[in-house]
Amino acid sequence: MHNSQDVQVPFGPQHPALKEPESFLVTLRGEKITASSVKIGYNHRGIEKACEERTYIQDLYLIERICGICSHSHATAFSQAVEEIAGLEVPKRALYIRSLIGELERVHSHLLWLGVAGHEIGFDTLLMYTWRDREVVMDILSLLTGNRVNYGMNTIGGVRRDITPAQAKEVLKAVDTLEERTKYYIKIATQETTIIDRLSGVGVLSKKDAISLGAVGPTARASGVARDVRKDDPYAAYGELDFKVITTNTCDVYGRTVVRVLELMESYKMIRQILKDIPEGAITVRAPRKIPAGEAASRYEAPRGEDFHYVRSNGTEKPDRVKVRAPTLANVQAVSKMLEDRYLADMPIVIAAIDPCFSCTDRSIVIKNSGTRNSKTVPWEVLHVQSIEWYKEHKGIDFSALNKKYAKHFKI
Amino acid sequence: MSFEESIKQELENKFPFFKDAAVIKRPRRIFADVPQERFFDVFNYLVRDMQFAHLCTITGMDEGDTFGVIYHLSRDGVVVFSLRIHISHDNPKIKSVTGYFLEADAYERELEDLLGIKVEGLASGQRYPLPDNWPKDDHPLRKDWKLKSEVDNA
Amino acid sequence: MIQALFNIIIFPGLLFLFVLALAAEFVDRKLSARLQNRMGPPWFQPLADFIKLLGKENILPCDADVHIFKFMPVLALTASATSFLYIPLWQSKALNSFNGDVIVVLYLLTIPTLTYFLGGWYSRSVYSMIGAVRSLTQLFAYEVPLFMSILASALLANSWNLSEIALFYSQHPGYWLFNFIGFSIALISLLGKLEKTPFDIPEAETEIVAGSFTEYSGKLLAFFRLSIDVEMVVGSSLLAAVFFPFGLGLTPVLGFILYLVKVTFIVCLISFLRTVLARLRLDQMITLCWKYFAPLAFLQVIINLILKGVFLK
Repeated sequence: MHNSQDVQVPFGPQHPALKEPESFLVTLRGEKITASSVKIGYNHRGIEKACEERTYIQDLYLIERICGICSHSHATAFSQAVEEIAGLEVPKRALYIRSLIGELERVHSHLLWLGVAGHEIGFDTLLMYTWRDREVVMDILSLLTGNRVNYGMNTIGGVRRDITPAQAKEVLKAVDTLEERTKYYIKIATQETTIIDRLSGVGVLSKKDAISLGAVGPTARASGVARDVRKDDPYAAYGELDFKVITTNTCDVYGRTVVRVLELMESYKMIRQILKDIPEGAITVRAPRKIPAGEAASRYEAPRGEDFHYVRSNGTEKPDRVKVRAPTLANVQAVSKMLEDRYLADMPIVIAAIDPCFSCTDRSIVIKNSGTRNSKTVPWEVLHVQSIEWYKEHKGIDFSALNKKYAKHFKI
Repeated sequence: MSFEESIKQELENKFPFFKDAAVIKRPRRIFADVPQERFFDVFNYLVRDMQFAHLCTITGMDEGDTFGVIYHLSRDGVVVFSLRIHISHDNPKIKSVTGYFLEADAYERELEDLLGIKVEGLASGQRYPLPDNWPKDDHPLRKDWKLKSEVDNA
Repeated sequence: MIQALFNIIIFPGLLFLFVLALAAEFVDRKLSARLQNRMGPPWFQPLADFIKLLGKENILPCDADVHIFKFMPVLALTASATSFLYIPLWQSKALNSFNGDVIVVLYLLTIPTLTYFLGGWYSRSVYSMIGAVRSLTQLFAYEVPLFMSILASALLANSWNLSEIALFYSQHPGYWLFNFIGFSIALISLLGKLEKTPFDIPEAETEIVAGSFTEYSGKLLAFFRLSIDVEMVVGSSLLAAVFFPFGLGLTPVLGFILYLVKVTFIVCLISFLRTVLARLRLDQMITLCWKYFAPLAFLQVIINLILKGVFLK
């Protein structure tokens, strides 16, 4: 299995291609990948356990911080589950606003992805262009919610902020700009030769494999699997919105790109429809502090795919169990399959093509002082002294004199 | 008859003990408890014959005397069937479903790490999601698990 | 003697070359930034980066072969700077010339790539080694079209001496227009030599961190970076001398300005190409070079042979 021609190359936990800590170990023969394995879990922060020790409304804000990009997805999925257990009838207007923020979030996430994809194939110009345009939607999100990320829009029983007609006008204006730019990106993605060369035929995941490996979101849709929670299991206002589920049959990274850029166009359509059809009325209903005992499974089509939350309550003000399955965990299993027989140069874009979000994927566990492990905190002053000692011992440089001179600045 | 009811009906016809076991919580959501020894009969039937071809996730939880393990299956992405088994707290053991769903690998490793449920038939590999140097018998999602600081203060 | 020393060390030798190299880096960075909707760096940024790197600590990997690791950046800089002496800049006569110097210049311009290979290989880091091997693989792909297109031009001039080539084209105005295919091929091959997108495969950041230069830091990295900038100027000057050999008989000041315009034009083309293209894969790059560029360069050779046979009897 392992012979002398093979080179093992670690990708991560820190690597320029990866924006978050995860580790891929690939075995190379020449430029060809012969084997690959993935290790995730570096971003485990104990959110599931922490949720059990906080009240529902505190959990909502904690859950929103699972991921910086699809924060609205997690928060909505969680509040939907709690509302279902409590039997709350969320006002229509709130549902529309949730969908609106959800689609704006999808726009920002897909534009972000397009830029990252460009960067992974060494096309930084695309990164600069899309991220510039992403600012437009970020501005809109901060106009509507007050924040660029972690919008804090949801509350149990509705949303926290209403949208005014003036805001709606701004959104429409931004959507017009974005639509025009997106058309340009569609043209680039479908006509630029080097992009097509780098993307088509790369990271192939057949329809059969996509189903058997449980792929979700754009990854599955690019393999011809029309799986979209918004359509299949409508939540928020999606039951009343008119949109197409974009699929392609190319099964490769190129298909995933096309699906995402075309989904952007669908999102613009939906945003316009939401702003036209949004009903008047209250934006929230009062939620009880103590949620009656029960359980609910809630799903949400995050930009990366199906986001699954399971909440179980026991009649107190804290949940008994909160389970989060982020879309990346379902998709990451397919990466090894996609990397089979590919070149090293394809690896970054293949990994990026599932739009991985490992902070979403890795959740629970408080790292500080576990049951039996001793960890220690090293204060800054001690580190400073250690570094001086290290230089004295290993490099023969003595900083102590200099250190005395500047001691008053260091506060030792 | 709605399709949730027809699913329930079909299961009840096939497995008589399923009478009243399946609950339709709301449209497109079915929850059902099944005894551990009959689990694979039902699971196999759901996956192979009723086309529940997508495993959303596996949820494990500490229920005090028992552990609950829920398999959230979905058909065409539409209906979610949550099949639950209860296993003993003293000797928690389940069989792997990676034979049906390859992606179950990560979900089952989570059960092993966070709740200490032994999954038989799971290929050896790296642990997930806890770090490699985490103590083997330390399972944070169990209800009796406490932070060291809390233990010290008690 | 003093005149010669002045020429080599200050003008138009080393110092001038370094200033020009940093200026070229600035033009490249600024233009590419403006094309990407960014502000881009201020004019002194390349110099500031160079000085900053000089002040940083040199980190030597434990496993690296220290002598080769330290020697390679210097060799890269020396080789590319030396080749500058043989290139006619704004007069038809270079600082130094002899029959066959076009071969020497091409040879000297190959050495930096070899130093990337050796430096990367002896860093003993897996990323560096992959980058090193990629540099060398790429070298075999672009060198042949580059050599053929430059030699095609020499063929027409019937000389292996760069200064004589320049002289020939200034005596036969208009003939340089026939070398257009050769110029395009040489320009694209130069992108490969400078390891710029779409041929930045050996230092593809998202794949192998920084390729050969992964383990380099401080002064050594500063020299490597300077040598790439110098190579960019030398390569552009070579292309300007071989493919745009007009206006060489002007007054020194006008000629100097024309030379700067030519070099800036080529640097801008390089910058433009690297901004609008995505990085290719190694196999795609090699296919491209052997399947399209080598035959095209060969076509240029044939065109020049016919020209020579028909018109320059």
